Amino acid sequence: MNPLLDVLVSVIAVVLVLHGLALAGIVGRKHLAVARVNVKRNVRKSWGVALVLAFVLVLNKAVRDVGVELSWLVGARITGGIYDLEGTFVASVQSLASVELTWFFGAMYVYGYVFLLTFPLVAYAIETDWRPLRELLVAYVVNYGVGLVCYVAFVAYGPRNFMPELVESLLYVQWPDVQLLTSRVNRNTNVFPSLHASLSVTVVLVASRYRSTYPRWLPVVVVFATSIALATVYLGIHWLTDVIAGVVLAYGAVAFARRYVARDDEFEPESPETTTPRPSDDD
Amino acid sequence: MVHPPAPSSWERREFLGVAATAGVAATGGCVRRVRSVMGWRSRSQVSLEIRAVPADADPFAFRIARSLADWFQRAGIDATVEPVSEEQLLRKVLLDHDFEVFVGRLAPAVRDPDALYSLLHSRYVDESGWQNPFGYANLTVDEDLERQRRSSLTERAIAATSLQETIAQTQPFTTLAFPEDVRAVRETRFENWRGGALNTPRRFLELAWAGDEYETAAERRTLRGVATDERPTENLNPLSVEFRRSGVVTGLLYDALGYVTDDGAVRPWLATNWTFSSTQKRPRAIVSLRENLSWHDGEPVTASDVAFTFSLLEDTTGASVEPDAGTETESEPNRVPAPRFRGRSSLVDTVRARDPSTVVFEFTRSAPAVAASAFTVPVLPEHVWAERRTEASISGVEFGPASEAIVTNNLPPVGSGPFAFERNTPGESLVLERYDDHFLRREDVTGVPDAVRGGPAFDRLAVQVVGSDGSATELVVDGDADVTMTSVAPSSVPRIGRADDAKLLVSRAATPYVVGYNVRNPPLSNSRFRNTLVRLIDKAAIADDVFDGYATPAASPLAGTRWLPTSLEWHGENPVTAFLGSDGELDVERAREAFRDAGFTYDDGALLHND
Repeated sequence: MNPLLDVLVSVIAVVLVLHGLALAGIVGRKHLAVARVNVKRNVRKSWGVALVLAFVLVLNKAVRDVGVELSWLVGARITGGIYDLEGTFVASVQSLASVELTWFFGAMYVYGYVFLLTFPLVAYAIETDWRPLRELLVAYVVNYGVGLVCYVAFVAYGPRNFMPELVESLLYVQWPDVQLLTSRVNRNTNVFPSLHASLSVTVVLVASRYRSTYPRWLPVVVVFATSIALATVYLGIHWLTDVIAGVVLAYGAVAFARRYVARDDEFEPESPETTTPRPSDDD
Repeated sequence: MVHPPAPSSWERREFLGVAATAGVAATGGCVRRVRSVMGWRSRSQVSLEIRAVPADADPFAFRIARSLADWFQRAGIDATVEPVSEEQLLRKVLLDHDFEVFVGRLAPAVRDPDALYSLLHSRYVDESGWQNPFGYANLTVDEDLERQRRSSLTERAIAATSLQETIAQTQPFTTLAFPEDVRAVRETRFENWRGGALNTPRRFLELAWAGDEYETAAERRTLRGVATDERPTENLNPLSVEFRRSGVVTGLLYDALGYVTDDGAVRPWLATNWTFSSTQKRPRAIVSLRENLSWHDGEPVTASDVAFTFSLLEDTTGASVEPDAGTETESEPNRVPAPRFRGRSSLVDTVRARDPSTVVFEFTRSAPAVAASAFTVPVLPEHVWAERRTEASISGVEFGPASEAIVTNNLPPVGSGPFAFERNTPGESLVLERYDDHFLRREDVTGVPDAVRGGPAFDRLAVQVVGSDGSATELVVDGDADVTMTSVAPSSVPRIGRADDAKLLVSRAATPYVVGYNVRNPPLSNSRFRNTLVRLIDKAAIADDVFDGYATPAASPLAGTRWLPTSLEWHGENPVTAFLGSDGELDVERAREAFRDAGFTYDDGALLHND
């Protein structure tokens, strides 16, 4: 009955199905067999960072309204500047629009994104090596933290708001109910940088570093992340500039996370392989 | 976008120039030459920043702004556009006067010449709010504004004509077009949606229940509104100018002494009747209130609340002496007039409670028909607002000249209107509950239109905020809402037309889209410049392209009323300041010629001015 609830339920359902498929196809039975022990250990290793991430997310939500107010007070208005930089690029991307493409990119933007962000947390949690989970969590914290600062420091509207005569809000025109969800999560003045792009690329970078763990995960991630980054532009939500800034942010966040976790390693020289069971590597 | 402000770049150039020539002067001794050279000011390109709210908040404003920027650029002006939120736009334009050009809608409906009084009279240049935000001062206009206010019908029409013609030439703001308000409503639960003009609270009171009697006996009848404007969920202060658009929601919460009929007359509402007399051309009115009126908190509504309201509008701080001593001309330094209702409150000289249910108004020199419009401001409860006449403070630190009465969010509001505040979630929703002690609910109520007799047909008004007008339409079409509280884009029309139970309401809005100029600074302070600038705007093309035909271009803010002179009627093209081109295509050569005639010069296609 409540359309917002409908959208929410559909997101949860689709993402759960994707998780199931990915557990079967990407993680595989052997990893799952040793999951229980690893999860305990990884959670013990990472609960601190997870708590920080939870705190940042709550903070994100809490200061969202205050942040927008503050942003108008102290933030730089950069929409016109971004437009001067890249012009009508987004409009030319949209000239390729079709109903099928919009459904594809819309699904990627909503379902694919949530899946891409949540699945590696599960997959790395049941992994023998505790580092990828910790790195990913630290990188998420940096992404959200820097994003939050940027959203206060810059007031920027997306292309669909800036040049409505050229750029259609494809997602919201074709699938209006989803805006009920996105408008609860985002404010339309917060487009620089694209957190959709930065978090997706973050997942790719971590996946690429630990590609030996789940060899099938990397190609999937690359396809999803590319589609999501493209989707933000195609759907008229983000400027190309936002996406590029997002990619830069992702590299920074992952580099930071790597050093942060490596530094931890020095203090805790125990080798993960000796204490936890490993799945046999014969497939 | 961050623009280096023109003066600073000039200052740097000037400084370098001074430094360089100072060297020459020191050696060559030609100080006189330095002075001669310095006397000439450099020229730079005219630049204009156009602000408007983005597409999510208003489907048209930003598109208009971009069209304007395009035309201005072709004429050699460095025009840029910047999207800002509606609240921020109003704050910058109305309170800070920190803007160059903005595109938006006039919030006060201009259906009578007197509405232009507060908008354009030079006595308001230093006030904040919808009173002369442009900084416009024109003695002829001032004269006409005074004349229309105090004159009888024929002379009033003459003054109104002269007024509109002067404005059309000098362009403190440019009236672009009157849009059609397009809304989606459902007729399955409520009926008597009238002509779509849902921008007055009375239209909501006229609705009738159309749903099943039995089905809803147990649950309350809720009118489910959906809006793209989040501000009423955050602030319900009738005086907060940056949070109000049409004032429908606050109009349901707060009653006024009178209401405006469809033909523009003022009839009693909270009052049972009023009688006018006059002494020395100054009207005097004795107003009787209805019996047993009460505020939503149970306190009685009295004549002293009415007197208090007008004293508050005149000065929200209470720093000035009692209103009978303070006429407008003696302005005390700390006086902070309300940023809304200024035109109407300025009609009133003194207001005094003769007894708990009788108010005596003494007006300034004006015709009684004009003076009566003062009765349409919302009456505020003295017992709530009296303590808000202090200087506004942030964490105990007093800040600037604003008073608490202006800056408070006023949550929960205590009004006397047919609906009382129930709850709000900022940015998301607002719920109002019917006030059962309202006089409309009395069986023996007299002097109100038949359609509103018996009170509202719904027990509750629940307004949900969504991200854009497309989402709003969809909720109504899918049956999850009954009405779009804000108008939607013409692109939604087919969607509404195809839906089974949804109905399309289209009606001409009373508030036009305008381009406002800050005429305090050059080159916009030059009325010849503005007159030429306006000729770069093709209003007909805007009505066709941006509004998709759902708008009527106009040359005067009073277009569509009986006050419009024939000289300003729109017959296919702009009667004055005609577009320098055709079909939206600017003739660049003609534009340059026009600016050269106005005393400006061009260099390499850039329009220059002395700065």
